[in-house]
Amino acid sequence: MMDAYFIPILIAGAFAGLSIGLLSVFIVGMRMPFIGSCISHAAMVGAVYASLFQVNPTLGALVLSILAAAGVAFIHPHRRHFDANTGQAILLAFMMGLVFLAVALEEGSRTEMLGLLWGSILFADWGTVVVTGGLAVLLVAFVIAFEKELKAVLFSRSLAAVTSAATEPVYLAFLCFCGLILAVNLKAVGGLLIFSLLVCPAAAAYQVCRGYRSVLLAATGFGAMATTLGFLGSYVFNLPTGACTVIVGTLIFGACSLVRRALAISE
Amino acid sequence: MSDGLSILLSDVDVGPRRHPFLRVDHLQAAAGECVGIIGPNGAGKTTLLKLCCGLIRPNRGTVLLDDRPVGGWRGWRGWQGRRIGYIPQQTEYNSHLPFSLRDVVAMGRNALKPALRPLDGADFEAVDHWIAEMGLHDRRHQTFRSLSGGQQQKALIARAMVAAPRLVVLDEPAANLDTRSRWQLRDIMERLFRDRAMTVLLVSHDVEFLPGACERLLLLRRGRIETDGPRDEVLASPSAADVLAEI
Repeated sequence: MMDAYFIPILIAGAFAGLSIGLLSVFIVGMRMPFIGSCISHAAMVGAVYASLFQVNPTLGALVLSILAAAGVAFIHPHRRHFDANTGQAILLAFMMGLVFLAVALEEGSRTEMLGLLWGSILFADWGTVVVTGGLAVLLVAFVIAFEKELKAVLFSRSLAAVTSAATEPVYLAFLCFCGLILAVNLKAVGGLLIFSLLVCPAAAAYQVCRGYRSVLLAATGFGAMATTLGFLGSYVFNLPTGACTVIVGTLIFGACSLVRRALAISE
Repeated sequence: MSDGLSILLSDVDVGPRRHPFLRVDHLQAAAGECVGIIGPNGAGKTTLLKLCCGLIRPNRGTVLLDDRPVGGWRGWRGWQGRRIGYIPQQTEYNSHLPFSLRDVVAMGRNALKPALRPLDGADFEAVDHWIAEMGLHDRRHQTFRSLSGGQQQKALIARAMVAAPRLVVLDEPAANLDTRSRWQLRDIMERLFRDRAMTVLLVSHDVEFLPGACERLLLLRRGRIETDGPRDEVLASPSAADVLAEI
């Protein structure tokens, strides 16, 4: 029987997986996995530098990730003379450089800083459950409210931008949501591993689902499953939570690929 | 009175300042005009279309649709009622997502709906009408990615037409299609362009593919407008032979 101490941890983990799984549908669908990693690493930069200057790391993560989200939104494929993925990859590498610089500059114990890199869901309490749960509800409401705009952006950002004036503000708001959710979940999953959660749930859902809404539901479920099973695995085998979560996420993707092949899912 | 959008480009440069990809001193298309644009690779055809859609901004000069700037904040404010139907090249959209054909066509109705207001029955009636118009009624619940190249192009035309566009911009719609699909598509465009009073900009590699409705022809080469005028006159001009030889 699990100790009551672990209940909020389990619930917060499930909410984190749910939110990031939902975000992953758009990150993968837009074929821009670097967007997610760029924002998550910006959150990590904010957190480690805040920690270096004895400020609340979540606050630092929040500020930097939202700034990065806004920056990424302005890397428009048609207005720059380089590929948007290349621009995001450069930003990502720069962020990683800043993170490791901060780790090197830390004179005291580096445990907390390294915790931000690898993550530990054991930080979570009932307050974390309220925050991650609230954000998950807000994200679901956003995805429902702007369904038609988000679908159009997924299909083609440029086509959507020509069709409707609401596209770019909705896209920017979506990226800010990314920043917010990644910053809040950084401590739990870790900056280096959160990238996997931003890819695997949607990649798995795209393997076995046909239809926009079924992909959203499946990716959300797979995200929650990855964090919950990852936590249970780490609890039972006494292993790092972030690593277990990533491994479960990858296994879900592998299983979905096999299911697709076995059932020869058609269109 | 025509419901098309008028287009005016003046003193426009796009790309590096010393060697721009496209330089247009003056280009005007009247509302309801159908303009065919041909030229070899790298001539600036797609750039010209993207300029007119507001997807790229010029280094200098102005791009006006119905006398309003197309890009930036002022362009955004003037959006209401602009209704541009854009049919891009295949690299511009993600055809691997599990959207149904009906989903893709319905995206075109976003032009008529403000944010937060979902599509309703009237929207889906229009969507189904245009799917049927393109002869794809039996496939409306099939995924877009499972359609052939020709069917995908028809779906994109339906997507553009479903919002009753005032300007339709087509970027090589027949690229990578087999001969039968190309001619089918040409017939559809011929019918659409003749029946409606919208303005059309159609880029093609192939003069034969341009519908007869495109009575005006623009020849582009090396980022410049080489010749512009009535189709027959342009094709008879000395520079046309050079440009066509390069295609």
